[in-house]
Amino acid sequence: MLPLRRSIVATLFLLATAAAAQQPRATILLDPAHGGPDAGAHLANNVLEKDVTLAFAARLRAALGGANFAVLTTRDADPAAAMPPDQRAGIANHARPAACLVLHATDSGNGVHLVASALTAGASQRTIPWDTAQAASIPQSLALAIQIDAAFVRARIPALLLRAHLRPLDNLTCPAIAIELAPLDNPGGSPTPVTDPAYQQQAAEAIARALTAWRAQPAPPPAPQPASPATPSTGAAP
Amino acid sequence: MIPRYQRILFWSLAAAIVLVAAFLFHAHRQTLRRLAAPADETPIAAPGATSTQDVTLYLANDADGTVAPSQASLALPDDPTSRARTLLDHLLSSYAQPGSAHPLQSGPAVEDVFLVPNTPSTDTHSTDKTETAIVNLTSTFCDRHPSGILVETLTIRSIVQTLHADFPRVTAVRFLVDGQPRETLAGHADLTRTYSATTENQQPTAGN
Repeated sequence: MLPLRRSIVATLFLLATAAAAQQPRATILLDPAHGGPDAGAHLANNVLEKDVTLAFAARLRAALGGANFAVLTTRDADPAAAMPPDQRAGIANHARPAACLVLHATDSGNGVHLVASALTAGASQRTIPWDTAQAASIPQSLALAIQIDAAFVRARIPALLLRAHLRPLDNLTCPAIAIELAPLDNPGGSPTPVTDPAYQQQAAEAIARALTAWRAQPAPPPAPQPASPATPSTGAAP
Repeated sequence: MIPRYQRILFWSLAAAIVLVAAFLFHAHRQTLRRLAAPADETPIAAPGATSTQDVTLYLANDADGTVAPSQASLALPDDPTSRARTLLDHLLSSYAQPGSAHPLQSGPAVEDVFLVPNTPSTDTHSTDKTETAIVNLTSTFCDRHPSGILVETLTIRSIVQTLHADFPRVTAVRFLVDGQPRETLAGHADLTRTYSATTENQQPTAGN
């Protein structure tokens, strides 16, 4: 009797392991903004935004990898030529990730700025206008932004949620937000710069926790056909 | 023996030389002081003889990411396009004042503002009186604008909402820089699209 019970337990264990192994890992696409001749903002102490976004992307990639996410990036180094927003959006749309995070850094403001597209939410269409490709994913993008905002609240990092017209954010077909790191005000002391490794690590871990919780939520509607820059634009007005 | 008239002439010429030297020294000092003074590029105020009127300025705040209305009294020209330009000049120069919640550098910011009807003038049956404002910014303003998504978006939102508040017919705003299309304001906010003046009131929906 005992061998039979052992074999049942072993079988159940193997089935559970196989099920866990077959569970698809959500793919997150990171877009460290700027790069090459496009240095982005010139931050304090002669730091360039393109270098901060690349360093932050590396930390975020490690944190997301630890949370069992598959991570893609639009660039892993400083490219020789500038990467136009359309090229970044093309990479992201063809990868069909679960979420896209566009990374920026600035000297203005306090804490982290979470930016969702200012496009008006629209229904999924068969043909997606390139300039308003993000419109069909606005509800999912806002839900993602609110989830990450809540994670920053728990991590005691001030976060500000806003909507803006930004490329390539408006051209992405996946749930997408831009995350802009700003210096962290310290009461009675000098602000923590965006280059601070501890600050970046804390932000990266908060984002990884938020995405883990977001992944556990019901899946959003299937993504529409990927748009490409060659798609004729039907107007830029939101 | 030097004649008396020659002595008088000599001393008169000597006195004239001293006076001219003193005048030139004074003028030299004045010129140096004027050149050394910091250039005040604040736009010239509208003529004082024009009667003032109350306007609504939407002022940005970097700390909380908001754009809030504020009342002001301004002397504005009668011509609508000149009035819109003066209004935006006043709005953007207010951000150069010390203690501004959205600090920008002083200097000329707006080259022109054009108000274009949304319906072609050939369509005489249309009752649509709405307009699109085309704001032609200076490249100096854009090049000196702080770079970042939040700070650039707030500047655009401030311009769009101020125009809509004081020119209710303006329902959309487009931007040019030195008369040409430009991709971004200072590396982030998209300047290639038309901004709707009626949906730019989007404020943060969450935050801490």
